[in-house]
Amino acid sequence: MRKVILSVLGHDRPGIVAAVSRILLEKDCNIENVSQTILQTQFAGIFIVSLPEDLALGRLRTSLEDGLRSLNLHVHVKPLASQTTTSPPVPNEPFVITTQGPDRKGLVAGITEIIAAYGANITNLQAVFKGGDDPGDNIMIYEVDIPTDIDQQCLYRDLRQRAESLALDISIQHRNIFEALNRI
Amino acid sequence: MLTDREIISTLEMLQSEHLDVRTVTLGISLLDCASHDLSKLKNKIRTRITHFAEKLVPVCDQIGQKYGIPVVNKRIAVSPVAVVGAALTSSQLVDVAQTLNAVAEMVNVDFIGGFSALVEKGMARGDRALIEAIPHALTATERLCASVNVASTRAGINMDAVLLMGKTIKKAAEMTAAQDGIACAKLCVFANIPEDIPFMAGAYLGIGEADAVINVGVSGPGVVKKAIDRALESNPDLDLGQISELIKKTAYKVTRIGELIGREVADSLKIRFGVVDLSLAPTPNVGDSVGEIFQSLGLLSIGVPGTTAALALLNDAVKKGGAFASSRVGGLSGAFIPVSEDLNISEAARQGHLCLEKLEAITSVCSVGLDMVALPGETSAETIAGIIADEMAIGVINHKTTATRLIPVPGKKAGESAHFGGLLGQSTIVAVNNATGSNRFITHGGIIPAPIHSLTN
Repeated sequence: MRKVILSVLGHDRPGIVAAVSRILLEKDCNIENVSQTILQTQFAGIFIVSLPEDLALGRLRTSLEDGLRSLNLHVHVKPLASQTTTSPPVPNEPFVITTQGPDRKGLVAGITEIIAAYGANITNLQAVFKGGDDPGDNIMIYEVDIPTDIDQQCLYRDLRQRAESLALDISIQHRNIFEALNRI
Repeated sequence: MLTDREIISTLEMLQSEHLDVRTVTLGISLLDCASHDLSKLKNKIRTRITHFAEKLVPVCDQIGQKYGIPVVNKRIAVSPVAVVGAALTSSQLVDVAQTLNAVAEMVNVDFIGGFSALVEKGMARGDRALIEAIPHALTATERLCASVNVASTRAGINMDAVLLMGKTIKKAAEMTAAQDGIACAKLCVFANIPEDIPFMAGAYLGIGEADAVINVGVSGPGVVKKAIDRALESNPDLDLGQISELIKKTAYKVTRIGELIGREVADSLKIRFGVVDLSLAPTPNVGDSVGEIFQSLGLLSIGVPGTTAALALLNDAVKKGGAFASSRVGGLSGAFIPVSEDLNISEAARQGHLCLEKLEAITSVCSVGLDMVALPGETSAETIAGIIADEMAIGVINHKTTATRLIPVPGKKAGESAHFGGLLGQSTIVAVNNATGSNRFITHGGIIPAPIHSLTN
């Protein structure tokens, strides 16, 4: 079965997901996964969709662009690569890295450079920089899968050194602690 | 996916509200180390403890780092030494105490508990030898803690043992007079002692326990106080039922952390996980105080009218939250009121809000009893025994654990200050009222019979 991934971007308003999903239904497509978020005023949605055999990719793209033009949304549609081409998963454990500190350029680049260098994968990222002195207003929360075969002490050390150079307070904690504390 | 609110609130509890795992306590059975031969016994004890405990501290540190939650203290609790060393003399037991202290130093734990005897129904030869050894043992060691259970709801109160403990406490204080009687800060007298307390000075490994077990003590008075403060700031009209619900939820969270860390430590050491003991245990740090919770609840200070009711609410809510969070809740689980270890409670004693009588009253609803209470040095052994007997009676009749950790500070009077240092803190010496004359009641001796279990009024 052919699958596509489509992204929808634009100014947030009620009815965006309804509009996208109605067009997909009309084209006999099946939504397998969907995730949406709103950053400040902007909507971003990602859909993984399976297509009927007789639907050309171009026709779907045209229908979405035509149907969403009135909402002033940008749509990108791309065929999804087969799963057989992906490499086997590396054993890892989920951690949460949180930083708090004054806003400046290069914070995300600085922290993610270290995360990437150790082959850790960011699975979720929320970052808010509102400026000012309230630590809660300038926070980055990375959920990362850290490979179990790396030297975690070195990763901790490098992250802490980088955070210090960026004037950030950093916490690195296994994800289980947040689940144990907040969820029944 | 975690929400940012879940993450930020967790970080606040850790960073600004003193949430930590107060202690991971490794219980080790020494029962099969027993021997008539002192040297063999000491060797077996050394081998047994190092076998189980050599990795305790590094594993706790590593898991603490993994979760970003410090395991503040790592401790060991052993089988009652009065049983293990039943064949030994008092001076030989002091030797055993020094061995335990040396092993504790070797494996880098800050306290080792279990220099203990269970004498609620009578004293065997080994029990007498151990109690006789206590003052010397606690003077010659730094990390050793001792406890003696002198009463239980099923057996009654062993008044011979109570009087003996009064004398033992006096002697221990005199032997460490230069340090304000610090040996007594490592000595608890219990009624209904649990077999799985992770907190010192009462921790020992019960006779009914396995070869080794990990028990965890979590605390968090700062977290409870901040939760109350925040809730009242956003809604000053909260009633006490709503505040109780809030404390319950907070206790739930704190207990979950203890269970998570405890189970992982136990798995790493391949030792059975025992219990989580959620006790609001203060330290002499600002923001880590049980006394401050009373002020958050609206009382001028711990000790003023309303204190017993407030503590009853607090203790019950903590137990309910803990019981929901884990099916392995044990130990003491409640709120500690250690006078010298809590800046706020110590200050309440200094200002006169908290007297010995009020302290005794609130122990009817708190987790333990008269804890870290500095008394005038001139307090007699009979008077100390009387205070202990009163406290034991509260425990025995109410089917609960009670204990005393009393320090008659040599050469000092009521109103003066006693300094114990570190976690043991400092305190104003509280007056013992109406203690003149002889106390024939105490010297009658014998057993106060176990209470009736019906007609409960």
